[in-house]
Amino acid sequence: MFDLFSDPVKVAQQMEIIFSEYGFAIWETMYALVLEVIFAYVVGLPLGVLLVTGEKEGIRPMPGWMMKTLNIVINLLRSVPFLILMIIVLPLSKIIVGTKVGTPATIPPMVIAAFPLVARMVESSLREVNHGVIEASQSMGASTWQIVTKVLLPEALPSLISGGTITVGTILGYGAMAGIIGGGGLGKMAINYGYYNFKYLVMWAAVIGLIILVQIFQSVGTKLAQASDKRLRNRN
Amino acid sequence: MQPIIEIKNLSKVFGSGDGKVAALQDVSVAVQPGEIFGIIGLSGAGKSTLVRCINLLELPTEGQVLFHGQDLTGLKDKELRMQRRKISMIFQSFNLLDQRTSLDNICFPLELAGVSRKDARKRAMELLEIVGLPDKANSYPVQLSGGQKQRIAIARALASDPEVLLCDEATSALDPTTTDSILKLLQKINRERGITVIIITHQMSVIEQICHRVAILDAGQVAEIGEVESVFSNPRSAAGRRLVSPEMALPFTEEDGPIARIAFNGNASEEPIIASLALDLGIKVSIMGADTRNIDGKAFGTMLISLPTDSEQKQKVMQYLKSHPGVTAEEVQ
Ligand SMILES: Nc1ncnc2c1ncn2[C@@H]1O[C@H](COP(=O)(O)OP(=O)(O)O)[C@@H](O)[C@H]1O
Ligand SMILES: [Mg+2]
Repeated sequence: MFDLFSDPVKVAQQMEIIFSEYGFAIWETMYALVLEVIFAYVVGLPLGVLLVTGEKEGIRPMPGWMMKTLNIVINLLRSVPFLILMIIVLPLSKIIVGTKVGTPATIPPMVIAAFPLVARMVESSLREVNHGVIEASQSMGASTWQIVTKVLLPEALPSLISGGTITVGTILGYGAMAGIIGGGGLGKMAINYGYYNFKYLVMWAAVIGLIILVQIFQSVGTKLAQASDKRLRNRN
Repeated sequence: MQPIIEIKNLSKVFGSGDGKVAALQDVSVAVQPGEIFGIIGLSGAGKSTLVRCINLLELPTEGQVLFHGQDLTGLKDKELRMQRRKISMIFQSFNLLDQRTSLDNICFPLELAGVSRKDARKRAMELLEIVGLPDKANSYPVQLSGGQKQRIAIARALASDPEVLLCDEATSALDPTTTDSILKLLQKINRERGITVIIITHQMSVIEQICHRVAILDAGQVAEIGEVESVFSNPRSAAGRRLVSPEMALPFTEEDGPIARIAFNGNASEEPIIASLALDLGIKVSIMGADTRNIDGKAFGTMLISLPTDSEQKQKVMQYLKSHPGVTAEEVQ
């Protein structure tokens, strides 16, 4: 697997694959990633907010059974290994996106795997918000909606961005696994050519591509989180 | 006059079963419009709980909170939120929004009330002038000192044009000089805008400096209530005495002999009394403890002196003290 360059013919062959498919693989990876992150937040963000505001001591307590159910469902989804979850959920893809193969088919399982993570991430970010500030807003007559949109989310923004960065990294990792069920992108490239066809050069190229993507997202995310944090001193 | 805030038979119990804490028991307090009303007590006395019951951040277990005679505990959520805009609050830890500039912090309550961005900013700038920080409009809380943060918090509290300002240990996190300037600001706001101020504190000096009336809270109950001078110069409750002169609550032994407590209510200075006592009567007494403050040459507070053991001389001393204007004296041992 590490003897990549000893056979010039094979190398040339693999380089050709890389040149012709790499760009498209990156595009597929990115497009799936963007959709998955958006949907994971569409579902996960409100749930994360609910986990904080709806608890017994929260600003808008919800019935205990409801919070309990929500917590159990989230924990359950979080504890099923992604590969298994993907296989269980795949029939759902047929209903939602009309197909069980290809990149679109991997989006529903990915969202289902990722939204519980997002919900927990959002929850923990919002819990960091100083309770005194929430009380101060209540004392000014803020409604629940105003507290969520004007206090909780903006005050937690740097932490939410950090959480988002972790989510993106995790989804990229899941995406690589989704190659197994035919989800396109760098993950599929690595598995199809490398694992199934012994084209290790292609595999490494795809893996390195993923690593670089994760690095880029991580550093951009960290920078954004810092830039948005007004609590840091000595910034201009 | 109808009180602006009236707390009626208020009780608050936290928890249930074995973990039950009765934080407030049957508390009744009436605050008049335009006054600066102090609530003092030791830590854990229930002061914060009481003040948080006024704007219903804490729901009373029993009792009523009347604002202009209207019971707030009976209001619907939305009505309560409207009333809360008229009862502002400032806190020990300031509770500013860290991710907003000073100006935007002051705009916050106006935003909540649906005031346009332009009008809100204009009003916020005026308020920054009032609290003396016009140059800090674009600073974030992290760039401000404690005193500056509290000034911004005060400006924010004033933004909704409240009738009442609740202050929960608003100066407890500040150094004495800053405390002084914040208290002066509160006094100015009270005088110039007629805003009723309710101050919660564990510091006597805060009450002395700006309050008109004071309630002493002790273990969840009101121990006494009255004009600041009379309560502090002559506390009638045990809790009041403990607060006014903590070191004098120390028990003296029989060997110390008879002891008298002299209370100064601001109509005399403390030095001449003991001196003139020696001059006029030829009897020397020693000071066992004193907790007096000199304000403009007038003494406030209390002093303990040892009395002569001879009962005739003792009588003379007591009579002398009692006849002196501006002090009250009583034998305590
Ligand atoms: N949320 C709460 N849950 C349980 N006990 C509380 C709560 N808030 C206050 N208490 C208790 O009520 C009592 C009064 O507290 P507090 O009003 O904060 O006193 P103070 O402000 O005078 O120091 C204390 O014994 C405190 O432990
Ligand atoms: Mg307190």
